[in-house]
Amino acid sequence: MAYFTNIKNSFKLKNYINYIGVTLFLVITASMLYTGNLNRSTANLITQIAYSIILAVSLNLVVGFLGELSLGHAGFMCVGAYIGCFVALKLHSVISSPLAVLIITMLIGGLVAAVFGFIIGLPALRLKGDYLAIVTLAFGEIVRTIFKNLDTFGGALGLSTKKYGTSLFIPALIVVIIMLILVQNLIRSKHGRAITAIRDNEIAARAMGINVAFYKLFVFVISAFFAGIAGVIYGHYATPVLYSFFSYNYSIEILVMVVLGGMGSINGSILAAVLITFINFQLTTKLSGDLAALKFLIYAIVLITIVIFNNAPALQPFKERFSLKGLIAKISGKIKSIFVKTKDIDKERAKIKDDAAEWKRIPTKIDMDALLSVDVKHEKTENQPDEKEDK
Amino acid sequence: MKKILAVVLCGLMVFTALAGCGGGNKAADNGYTANNTEFIIGGTGPLTGDTSSYGISVLNGAQLAIKEINANGGLNGIKFKLEFKDDKSTAADAATGYDTLFEGGMQASIGAVTSGSCDSFNSKAVEDNLFSITPSASAANVIENRDNAFRICFGDPDQGVLAAKELTSNYKNIGAIYDTSDPYSSGIYKAFEEEMKKLNVEFKTQTFDAENKKDFSTQVEALKDCDVIFLPIYYTEAGFIAKNATAKECNAVLFGCDGFDGIADQIDSSVKNEIKYITPFDVNSESEATKKFVDAYKAEYNAAPDQFAADGYDAVMTIFEGMKKADVKDVKISASDLCDILTSTITASDFKLVGATGEMTWDKSGACEKVPQIVEFKK
Amino acid sequence: MSTFIDGLSLGSIYALIALGYTMVYGIAKMLNFAHGDIIMVGAYAILTTLNLCGNPIVAIVASVVVCTLLGVVTEKLAYRPLRGASPLAVLITAIGVSYFLQSIAQLIYGAKNRPVTIATFSAVAIGNAKINIATIISLIAGAIIMAALTVFIKKTRTGRAMLAVSEDRGAALLMGINVNRIITITFAIGSALAAFASVFYLMQIPSTNPTLGSMPGIKAFTAAVIGGIGSVSGAMIGGVLLGVIEKIALSVPALAPYTTALEFALLIIILLVKPTGLMGKQRREKV
Repeated sequence: MAYFTNIKNSFKLKNYINYIGVTLFLVITASMLYTGNLNRSTANLITQIAYSIILAVSLNLVVGFLGELSLGHAGFMCVGAYIGCFVALKLHSVISSPLAVLIITMLIGGLVAAVFGFIIGLPALRLKGDYLAIVTLAFGEIVRTIFKNLDTFGGALGLSTKKYGTSLFIPALIVVIIMLILVQNLIRSKHGRAITAIRDNEIAARAMGINVAFYKLFVFVISAFFAGIAGVIYGHYATPVLYSFFSYNYSIEILVMVVLGGMGSINGSILAAVLITFINFQLTTKLSGDLAALKFLIYAIVLITIVIFNNAPALQPFKERFSLKGLIAKISGKIKSIFVKTKDIDKERAKIKDDAAEWKRIPTKIDMDALLSVDVKHEKTENQPDEKEDK
Repeated sequence: MKKILAVVLCGLMVFTALAGCGGGNKAADNGYTANNTEFIIGGTGPLTGDTSSYGISVLNGAQLAIKEINANGGLNGIKFKLEFKDDKSTAADAATGYDTLFEGGMQASIGAVTSGSCDSFNSKAVEDNLFSITPSASAANVIENRDNAFRICFGDPDQGVLAAKELTSNYKNIGAIYDTSDPYSSGIYKAFEEEMKKLNVEFKTQTFDAENKKDFSTQVEALKDCDVIFLPIYYTEAGFIAKNATAKECNAVLFGCDGFDGIADQIDSSVKNEIKYITPFDVNSESEATKKFVDAYKAEYNAAPDQFAADGYDAVMTIFEGMKKADVKDVKISASDLCDILTSTITASDFKLVGATGEMTWDKSGACEKVPQIVEFKK
Repeated sequence: MSTFIDGLSLGSIYALIALGYTMVYGIAKMLNFAHGDIIMVGAYAILTTLNLCGNPIVAIVASVVVCTLLGVVTEKLAYRPLRGASPLAVLITAIGVSYFLQSIAQLIYGAKNRPVTIATFSAVAIGNAKINIATIISLIAGAIIMAALTVFIKKTRTGRAMLAVSEDRGAALLMGINVNRIITITFAIGSALAAFASVFYLMQIPSTNPTLGSMPGIKAFTAAVIGGIGSVSGAMIGGVLLGVIEKIALSVPALAPYTTALEFALLIIILLVKPTGLMGKQRREKV
């Protein structure tokens, strides 16, 4: 009995809403496809949405959870797409089941991309911030230049493989669900806590005995693996796989999704990926000529306003007052108070609990920060040689 | 709990997946053309970017043809309509454009304007069995193994071979510059290289790619002493090379392919090099069909047409003449049925189109038979 | 030999852009991704004024004014609110600004290449190679600008205030330096340098398009890293070095298709092996 009450207590709708959402979406669209109500461009749009979600969530692992900026995510996708397509070309003559080919190519494409993720994770051990961002950007450009020049992969003509038609979105969405299960369980595990600890304060994390190098590599490998799978799906969807698609611009597009959805929010990434892909699709079919630049103008404005709004120190109080979360909490609190009369002591308790959830409001934390930084700085000037390891 | 949920979900997914793929793809010919009141011809091309001149020219030419056809009463009283989407010369946008067009009731198409896009466009068209006759996509793979795909322009290999023969017979010191990142450019170059090997003539090669397509001083420097430089590239880069060649006092003849069309906007009187290129279309041609087209185009757009405009015009005309010969009466005819009719009509031995770009016939491969010309560019 | 000279002329452009990068990075501690796009704006400013009045001197002045204003405005609107925020946020905003400028330029001028001729230059012969006067001018101008910058930073009050801000922003603030003003001045100078870079760019490649600045911008950053970020002479040397390397790679047929990859590989290697670059100062991480 205790087991079930435990389940009941630990089951929060919030944690499962995205599985349910994606599954429902999948069931509805799949049944529409088989009753012939789904037209082709919508099916293609759903495939695009599926691989965009995978890309956005996997980039969010690096940017949102590990706290390092990667500008080469399209590079991992490029590896997956080319390798997947290449393997599929060879496999189609050996294996007759298209589904088996799809699964095998996804695994191979993902694994090869993961190897590249490991390679790019190595510099991440030495470099941080801007430098790492530039290295990932450079990596993305190097990868596509190499694929472009290899005749095995079709050179400038690109690589084509057998297409899966409109039903490709079904396996693609299933991959999305599997990825969500894996990623969310990872984040909620002790490993996930370790990763966010590195983001918040690397030195403190190291002091707590977290293996920083391992986790950094681990996140890059996982992220690259999923980006590779997204690339394979793209490769099976688009004709032909061309190096020019995986440019720095596309990496930025994925980054816009992550920033729009909120760094460190999986649900946000999913919603933003859906929204951006949808808008993108509408814009490419509706806009022509130089007006197409409007798309990038919108991206730019979204990036700048969201980042400034979320990060500007001067805007913090403003943000707290007008945030959507706060608004919802206030409204729901008011509604609750109409129905349930709480005692004053309960209110007091609730407030204390709230404060505990919002670390920032605990005054001691700020004092500790100030103290710590002063102390450490002082120490640094005294024993310089010891610090060399941290560089 | 989590594990149970995960297992259940996975099971569900695999089941749907198997069901999903087991169904296979049915031919999606579900009556998109049912609401048509005009014959709809679709196409995509770059209306923005470095190659926009091609897309705009093709669109102008094709619209001129449509206007002419409709002014003469259409076919059996049914008018024609052209739907043209901007693909920015990218494969992805061409594919998206194709889907939108197909759902909009497209019955036949003039494909896409540039090679990479047209490959993407035709790979979708072949699944739907939609007739596609591209005005200008010259790469070999655009029509290879595709029964529904045809073209108006020369193929890349033909141009490469022709250029090799022309250059070796007239010049001694031969150089070439091509774009490794572009299907059109590398396609022509490969054929050129093979032919040169066959002819046993030595030549020098330089390359560039999408990241370095503005500064050509190194490449021109290396080929400075050549009598002729073969440039199987697009007009924008050709313009830069011409300027660089003048700056470097390199006097080589610049010899290009049909991509040179549009170079007039890129260079000014300071460029001293002689410029020649292969084209099936000569504005000053004496042929009656060409003259008629040039006059009509000048009246409509107040500018002289280039080869792409003529190609676009001819592509629409080919579809029209083919349908006229087969006497298509049903405005709601499905794309697949129309494709079968058109394919058998235009590959028939008695079908011949006298268009703006000369006399054309087609065989099953989809390639077009016509006589190339080499024109000299005058400033 | 002539490959080397071509490399010099390309390198002189990279060097000028890298100077701006290195100033902003060294003092404001941010990677201004939009720096390359300020060059693009400068080029369009030249195009527009040349079409209006035809006088190249006026055009150059206009370009400098426009770029400087643009640098100050972007700093005030986009970067200043983020002072004190995480470097990640600042970098993403800079990317946003870069996209903003590119798309605005495309909406106004279109994506097409537009020819711009500031002036035509003849070439002079040195030995068996010919060198364009534009190259000589840009190299000399680069050297003059570098010298002027060094003097400015070392000798003037503002310059030394910049050094102080670069060294320790908090301490500089305590010493009574107006940090915000210093950073704005840094941006103004960096953007003016970008305007000069656009002038020399157009002298050698007389054509503009909206993405004109993005590749040279990233490559110039590579140059700044090679030279050691934060070092004025390092930016100059790194720029010229990168230009020569690029041209040599392009002239070898087997390497030519991989030129861009090669330059980026060089960047990664330098960052990994010697993150301070050739001339950079050792800097330890602050906790």
